[in-house]
Formats: sequence, C-alpha cells, structure tokens
Amino acid sequence: MSSQLQTGSNVKHKQVGRPLVRTDAPGKAMGKTRYAGDYVMPDMLHSVVLRSPLASATLKSLDISEAQALPGVVCIITGKDLPEGMAATDIPGQTGRKRLDTDSQILVHTRVRYHGEPMALIAAETKAIAEKARSLIKYDLEPLEGVFSTEDALKPGAPQVQGKGNIIGKHQVRKGDIDMGFAAADHIVERTYNTQFIEHAFLEPEVGLAWVNEDDVINIRVSTQVIEHFRTIAEAVGVPHNKVRIMGAMVGGGFGGKEDITVEVFLALLAKSTGRPVKMVYSREDSWFGHGKRHPYKITYRTGVTNDGKVTAVKVDIVSDSGAYVYLSPYVLMYCTLASQGPYRVDNINIDAVSVSTNNMYTSAFRGFGACQAAIAYEQQMDEVANVIGMSPVEFRRKNYIKTGETTCTGWPIESAVWTEQCVDQAMQGLGEPTKPSGPHIRIGRGVAAYQQSYGRLTWLHDTSECWVGVEMDGTVVVRSGVTDIGAGQTSALGQIAAELLGVNLDQVVIYNSDSAVTPLAGTSTASRALYMTGNACKNAAMAIRERFLTRTAKEFGVAADQVDLADNKAFVIDEPEKSMSLRELIAITATEGIHRSELVQFNAPFSDPIDPETGQGRVHPDYAYGAQAIEVAVDTETGEITVLKSVAAHDVGQCINLAAVEGQIEGGTVMGLGYALSEEMIYKDGQLMTPSFSEYLIPTSMDTPQEHKSIILESRSGLGPFGSKGIGEPALTPVAPATANAVADAIGVRVMDFPLTPEKIVNALKEAEAQS
Amino acid sequence: MLAEFNFKKPQSLGEALELMAENNNGTRVVPFAGGSNLMLEMRASGQGPDVLMDVGALQELRSITIEGDSVTVGARATVSDILEHPQMKQYAPALVQCAGVFAGQMVRNVATLAGNIGCGSPASDSIAPLLTLDAEVVLQNAGETRVVALNEFFTGYKQNVMRADELITAIRWNRPQAGTSNLFYKVGRRKGDAITVVGVAVSLQQDNGVCSGVRIAMGAVGPMVFRSKKAEAVLQGRELSKDLVYEAAKVAANETSPIDDVRATGEYRKHTVEKVVCRLLLQAAALID
Amino acid sequence: MSELKLITLKINGQEESLKAASNMTLLEALRELHHFEVKCGCEKGDCGACAVLVDGEAVDTCLMLSWSAQGREITTLAGLSDGENLHPLQKAFIEKGGVQCGYCTPGMIMASKSMLDKNPNPSMDDMRVGLSGNLCRCTGYTKIFEAVDCAATEIRDGGGE
Repeated sequence: MSSQLQTGSNVKHKQVGRPLVRTDAPGKAMGKTRYAGDYVMPDMLHSVVLRSPLASATLKSLDISEAQALPGVVCIITGKDLPEGMAATDIPGQTGRKRLDTDSQILVHTRVRYHGEPMALIAAETKAIAEKARSLIKYDLEPLEGVFSTEDALKPGAPQVQGKGNIIGKHQVRKGDIDMGFAAADHIVERTYNTQFIEHAFLEPEVGLAWVNEDDVINIRVSTQVIEHFRTIAEAVGVPHNKVRIMGAMVGGGFGGKEDITVEVFLALLAKSTGRPVKMVYSREDSWFGHGKRHPYKITYRTGVTNDGKVTAVKVDIVSDSGAYVYLSPYVLMYCTLASQGPYRVDNINIDAVSVSTNNMYTSAFRGFGACQAAIAYEQQMDEVANVIGMSPVEFRRKNYIKTGETTCTGWPIESAVWTEQCVDQAMQGLGEPTKPSGPHIRIGRGVAAYQQSYGRLTWLHDTSECWVGVEMDGTVVVRSGVTDIGAGQTSALGQIAAELLGVNLDQVVIYNSDSAVTPLAGTSTASRALYMTGNACKNAAMAIRERFLTRTAKEFGVAADQVDLADNKAFVIDEPEKSMSLRELIAITATEGIHRSELVQFNAPFSDPIDPETGQGRVHPDYAYGAQAIEVAVDTETGEITVLKSVAAHDVGQCINLAAVEGQIEGGTVMGLGYALSEEMIYKDGQLMTPSFSEYLIPTSMDTPQEHKSIILESRSGLGPFGSKGIGEPALTPVAPATANAVADAIGVRVMDFPLTPEKIVNALKEAEAQS
Repeated sequence: MLAEFNFKKPQSLGEALELMAENNNGTRVVPFAGGSNLMLEMRASGQGPDVLMDVGALQELRSITIEGDSVTVGARATVSDILEHPQMKQYAPALVQCAGVFAGQMVRNVATLAGNIGCGSPASDSIAPLLTLDAEVVLQNAGETRVVALNEFFTGYKQNVMRADELITAIRWNRPQAGTSNLFYKVGRRKGDAITVVGVAVSLQQDNGVCSGVRIAMGAVGPMVFRSKKAEAVLQGRELSKDLVYEAAKVAANETSPIDDVRATGEYRKHTVEKVVCRLLLQAAALID
Repeated sequence: MSELKLITLKINGQEESLKAASNMTLLEALRELHHFEVKCGCEKGDCGACAVLVDGEAVDTCLMLSWSAQGREITTLAGLSDGENLHPLQKAFIEKGGVQCGYCTPGMIMASKSMLDKNPNPSMDDMRVGLSGNLCRCTGYTKIFEAVDCAATEIRDGGGE
C-alpha cells in the first residue's frame, strides 16, 4: 500500500496539504462521539414503521384497534390521518422554486407502489411494545398487477406507476452532426451495458430523535447529509419553515443514501401528535426499504471510429429504472446524460435518455449520481472499440482525450486543467510487471478507466454556501457552518483552511456544524461540493479576518501589508522575523480598537440559466475532475472467481487539503467500486427484495481488498475549490468498476455485459465463447 | 423482533440433560451455544422454543482432547479454538482450512462444530471436512451415551437421527494416516465472510500411485452435506491418473442436486463442484503439472 | 412478553445492573446502559459494528443474550483507554487515518485487539482474515490495516500496552 504526491508548483502551506489527524478522529476512536442514535431524552417514546409486504397492491383496510389497545402504545398514525399527507422530495435548492412533481405519499393511502412502502407509524413506551403493536395491526392488501422492468413499463397498456406512460424524466443532447460523423467512420461499434440496483450500505442505519420545544419548534436530531430538508418537513407536517429545526450529528456513512428525507417527517408527525420526544431507529431491514437505491441503467453506445483511432461520432441511448417514486431520478438521469461523453473529445454526439417508473424499489442519489453508470458504459465501450480496431486501449484513449480549454458535450469550455493523459499513463505504469498466473486455470488481466466527473451542483440551481469564522481573545478559532460531516472529514477540512489562513494550528480550531437554527446554512454534503462550496466560504471568511489582521500588523511595524504574515501563532514581518508579536497581542490590539474579528461569508457557485432542452447546450456544472484507475485481476476460469491483485488510482485533486483524507477517499472509493463491479446487487423479483441482509447483499470485506493498492495524487491547483482544489469524494469511485470490468475482459477474452461480474456469469461467458469458437 | 422464550443456563451436563428430557414431555428445549444460527432463526421467524438452554456454563464441553491418534472436540469448542489449536493442522488439515474462511472472527469466536452439525444447513462449512475425516458425533441424553457416524447422522434437509432429548456433547475422529492429503475449498460470492456456494473437502491416501483410501464430501449442492460414495468407488483401489480423477469428479457432480438461489443457480453449482472436486483430487494426488 | 429480570453485567471493570427481558441481546443491554460506543449495524452478526470483548475474545453482541453475559468480563471500546491514555490501537487508528465515518470503528478496534492478543505479529493475510467480520464502507480497509500493523509494532516494541 503506498501513495505518492505530485504537485504542479512550489506553493508552501503550513496546514493545507498535510496528512493531519482529522479533528473528528480522536472522539470516534475513543467511543466518545455521539451519533444521532446515541441521544436519549426524558419521557422519550420509541417508534417503528409498518411496511407493505407487497410491491403493488391496494390497501383495502387497516385495523389498528388491537394494537392501540396494547398497554404502552401511545400513538398510531396511518395514511387516513394524513388527508393531505404528501412529502415533496424535490432537490433542496436555495432558489425556493419547485421544479418537478416529485411528491410521494408519507404513508400509504390506498395504493401500495413498492415493497416496504410505509403504511403506519407506531409510538410506544418501549421499542418492544412498539414492535409488538406493529404485529397486531391487521390489514387487507389486494395484489395489483405491477410492472417490474423498464421494458414492460414502456409497453402500451402497462400498469401506470408515475408520470405519463411511466416516463418521469427525459434528457437529450444534440451536438454536431452524427450522420456525417458515422459516414466518416471506418468502423461502427455498438454495445449495450447493463448495471444493477446498488445499496449504499452505510454502517449506521437511519435514525433520529424529535421533540417539540416550548416555542412549538419541532427539533429533530437526525443522521442526514442535508439539514436543509427542514423546509420540506415543515411543509409536509403543516408548520412554518422556522418551526422545524434540524440538528445533525456525525453521520455513520451517507454516500447519497442520506440525501433524501428518511425518518424526519415520521418523527415530526409523531412528536407533534404526542407532545413527547420520539426516537426512531431503523433496523437494517428498515434501511433496505428506507432510502432509494442506485439506479439500474441500460446504456447503449454506438461509436464511429476511424482506422487510426479517431472517434467520429457517438450515439448514446440511456434508460434508467426510477422505481416507484420520482425522488432525484430525473437529476441522476441528467448527470448520467451529461457525463456520457466521458473525458473524450466528441464533436458529433447525440444522447437520448429516459427514466422510467416501475414497482421496484425507488432509486435516487448515490455517490457518483449517474456518472458512475455512464463511466461503466463509456469506458467499457472504449476498450471494445479499441479491440475492434486492433489498438491498445491506452493508445486509443490517447488519441481522443479532451484537452484543457476544449468543450464538454454541452458546448461549455472546461476551464480547469485536464490531466487525464498523465493520470492514465501513471496508473498503468503503477501496475508494474504483470503478475504470473498461479495455476493453469488462472488468467491475469489488466484494465484502465478514466473519467470526467463534475463537482458542485447544477449551475442553474444557484448553489450557495455560508460559513462563519471568528477568532477568540486567546487566539483560538471558531468555525460555524451548517455543513454535515458524513465521514469524509468535511468539518476537519474547514478547520485546516481556517488554521492555514489565521496562522494557528488545527487543534486550536473548534468547528460547530449542521444545526439549521444556529449554524449558517452551507447546503448539502453531496455532489462532491462540501469542500468546494463550504471550503471557499470558510476560506473567504478567514481571509477577511486575515486581511484585517495583516493590515493592523503592518501598521504596527510600519511596513506594507504584503510584507507581513501570520503563522505559528505569530504576526510578523516576513523579511525581518524579529519584528513580530504573538497572535494574542495582535488580537488584544484589534479588540481594543474594535476591529472585527469574525466574518460571515456566502460563497456563490457560478450561476447560469438552464440548458437548452432540445440540444442540451449550455453551462451545466461549475467544473470537472479528471483521473484514472488501473486494475489487475486474476480470473479462475473454472470457477469464475475473480481476485483483485493490484489497484492504482491516479487523480488530479487540484490541491490536497488533507492528504490522509484524500487517500482515504480514494482507497474507500476503490473498494466500493470493486463491490459495484464484482459482488453487489440488490435483487428484486417482481418487486420483492431478495437480498435483505449483509450475508446476501455483499459489500467487500477486508479479504476482498486488492492485494496491492497505490494512490497517485496529482495537484494541478486549477480547481474552483479553496487553494485550487477539486472534489474527490465521487471521482474516487467513478473509474473503479469499469477498470475492473476491463481487466476481467482482458483476462478472459470475452466481456460480460451485465453487472455485477459474478463467478457464474464469468463461467457462462467462457462456456459461450468456447461454444462459438 | 427476536422471539420470546424462557431462558435456562444449566451449571452441569447432568442438569442440561435433565432439561433436555423435558422435550419428551411436550416442552421444546433447544440448546444454545454461539447463537450464530439460532439467533438469526429466532429473529427471522419470530418463533422461539419454550426453553432456550444456554450451554455456556458447561466448561467440560469446551475442551479439545488429543489422545494418540484420536481427537475429541467438545460441543462448546469454537471454530476459533480449532483454527488456533497448534496440533489441529495435523489432526484435521481440511477443517483448519475451512475454519480460516468460516464467517468472520466474532462468529468464529462463538460458533461451534456441534452447532454447525445440529443445525445441519447444507451450506454449513465444517461438515464436509468432518465427513472426510470419518468423524463421529457423540450424543447424550439423561440415560445413555451413543456414538453416530457423521456420515449416517443426516437424514434429509436439516433432518437428523437425534432423539428429541439428546444433546451433542462431542465430535471425534482419528487423525489422517501418514501420507493422506486432506483438503478443503469453498467458492463464495466474495472472499470474506461468505455463505458457501460450493464447498468441497477431500481426503486421499495413496500407496505407490494406487488410491488406498478416499473421501469426497460436498456442501451446498444438495439437501445436506454428503459424501459421494460413487465417486469414491471410482477411485478406490485404482491407479490414480488424471483421467480417473476427471471421471470421479464427473460422477461426484452427477450425485448432486443443487438448487437455484440468490447466490447462484443449480447449474453453476453443478459445474463448479465438478471443477473443485477435480482440482482438489489432482492436488491431493500430486497430479498437477 | 418475555420474563423480566434484574441482571448485573461487568462492563469495563464496573458492575452495572438493568432490568432485562430474556430475549434482550447484550447489544441492546449495553446501549440501554448508555454504552453508546457499542454500535448496532445489522443485528445478524454480519457487520461486526457491535463487537466487544467477552472474557477477552471479540464477539458480536447482537448474537449474545444479555442474560448469558452475566458473570463474564465485558470490555467495550471505552474500556480500552485509561482516561486520556489511549490504547496503541486507538492511537494508531487516529494517526493513520483508520477512522472515517467512525461507525465501524468501535467493533473494528475490538476485533483488532482480540486478534492481536492471540497473534501479536499478524501478517497482511492474518489481518485480512481477522477483520473479515467487520464491514467498513468508507476506508477500503487500507488505513485500517496500516493502523493495526502500526499498533502491533508499538505493542511488541513497547513490551506491552
């Protein structure tokens, strides 16, 4: 296991870029950190959810009388109690505008649309009583014909789930002239790639605790990526926006699965009804049903290419399964659509994408947000095309990389550095000498994948983020920001940025975060935006204070402001270090003179109008990250088992804020990507979940990690984040699964088109290939 | 929700066997050791026994005793005890291999061979190695002790010859004779903590290239873990060759009746069990190039 | 409802009592006693988040009944450190970046402790096998292996904990 760092220039930072111990680590390693499920209150009730065992049905009757009579049961809420009980699940934006009809029922009124849909809420004195009461609720569900595949859902006369003709989202891109492009091609290669339902599998199931305070404010302590759902929750339960307060806690993993509302509305309803604190702790079983999965996608690429390896035209057709409710599916589809060009220059490209509703589990955000599925398809397609024209995959890619300053498929120029070529080359070199097969039935294969992944939200969502920084009289620093910390070090990074600019050490900074009532709202911890957006807000706030401090220091020593600096708790003249004072002295002076030692900053992402719906042309994202992953596998041709031997990731992160945290994202993304390619699948049979445990839904264990892993971290310092950083949370995952698939295809000489690449599919592909030859 | 039950924790084997005798009077008493199977069943079904009998206080059952060639593993000895026992690599090589890929550490620290056998899941990892060792199950009730060959223990899917009032108190076997190769391999959907898709154990003894003793046991390819006696017969007394091994592996695979489930189809299991049996036999017979 | 009984558990050297139903798991009991450092991830012995030491060996507390744990020595993550004096494993997990969201950390550290107590010099393969019952979704395990290796060295070189 190793890591190497390459920087583009000789910028010197005191705090930024170093592998510092994260501020949140000690509490977690000592067992002191309180997660949302670790809070209790006097008089607290415990609550559970009754869920539908069927995927498509009519609720004919629901009898709660016996359950209600059970001693200790305090409150049961059903769909009947919520005549207008609809929760909007639109993207929480800062514009206050509602964009899509994305409402879903809080509790089943009459129609059940997916397996596990909530039908009733029960609050009782103990969890055991609540569970017992749940088993006493009698209901009559009449099965209804459902629709369980996108193909069936698009057929005329198919049962309708959502939208018109079950279509809930469409996007298209028209750029250049694909007819001309295909006419200029020597070969046209068409392949269809299928991906599966994937589960976030964060270790901490959804959990929250709600209570109503003396001002009638509903307080909810909850595990979430998005505290700004308080507005939607308020509207769902019928109170003003300022009467709901969300307090986060350290989140036990999110990955997009805690981006939508989970337990918050249930808790708000129960707390409001009972007037008592109510806790809801999802079991793992609840969690499978409690948040949207990653969409299965069917993506067809038709690529025109010349004999010398130039892509002349690409046509992409995309179909995704949005499941029973809309949630974020149209946006995930848009991200997939706009990512499907990959990091390649394509002058003639048409993309048609559609998201289709079914009675499967609903699907929504997941780390990568549609871009993972796109990469799985375009990077496998690059290898397939290379194979057809008899060129090495790396050489073929080299002829087609998009370059700095060139445009995306939406016609928008890329401003930051595009280091795809360096990343691909270094990742492949990093694999070193090929491993020797350990037996006659073992074949070794290598694959690479590159990507272009946005960070930051769609520019027409007008994304903003706020952060407050203040310096105390003793030189310690306070940062306040609504940002949620989902385990990637979101808060610690803010501390490092403030420490860097104010000349203190990280352990002198305290960060208050994720409280919608008292910390400035920072937006979501999603879309690889937390560092980019809140990091910039924090940087700008710290910078404002820094400038006042520098001005005052310069005055003290009779020099210009650009001749002084802050570091190591001192203010000093750069070229005459004997002219210095302690930070404490400087602060005492600023306090005496009334110089403002705090700052609240709102950082605005680039704003744009929505893209043209006909052509898809215009600005979409603030910026993009580039990188690559190379994988070496051993495939057992008899059993189909795959062993991952080597993994090398090479990413341009712009600028590391915390080297260890960046490596952690890359290593974690690598293993999550291996699970995506090889073992993970939520299986639904006629809408019924068939894999409801961690012994059936198989995320990688310690034994499934690559035998060797290397992270190569490049710093172009060209990103839009603080100090030139780019987002790395999602990019770390994106290239892994396609690189793995390419390695497997390289090993066995045939490609399995459907994810995941199970031993059985490998064996079958080999048998088929043998039968054909 | 975990099922409800009465909890008893006998302090001696005698007391435990008396409790087990309640099974003859219509009270269902179920022994509880590591809980790695029973807790899941009680959570999934919501159904529990009348009495859950925690055998945790029966220290006499946690021993692993080696006397000469014979090893006796008490019913409470855990999979970790097997894995960490310094002599077990000689006394049960395939079982030790199996223990290394058995669930995760915490489950290995509590799961017992007796529990594996008592539960009798066809995907149980430890039964195939034990079958290749000709292991015997020691059963006790309040009145008597009897010994049943593991090979004759199972009668069907999670069915066995135990009487309602009997407790498994030990598993025993003799160490493989010198020159015997005893191997285990498991195919799962991932490498760590995986439920077995196909599990195979073999033991092979040869005398100047002639097979003088062979056991082939297979898991997750039928209603119970079982030995392929037909495949063993193909090899027994014959001169070992690659072709003979291929034939035996085919015969073994033909004896299986695997089902489709979320992990794999029966067809894949049948294909893979043949490959794995073949590979282990070739390895055991040192016939690999 | 199941039989309720006052039971006493010895947790990190202290005796603590609670009223427990016969079907209350050790995990539920520990959290009822506010040992929130013990995490619940699956209740099926699949994830290892709830691991503690019982008589020195790591076990999944979701698979153990609270009544069964009476009379045994239970050590949770909080019991590993002596005030601010951290166990080498805790220090190494902090310093090597073995902690991300932190939810698997309590179980991961206890499983590592149990492994190192039996095998003070684990190979890479030993670590992979030893920790395979503890799922982590954030780190990819790389920094966890580094942390355990580092702690093992410190314990060996320091001649103890």
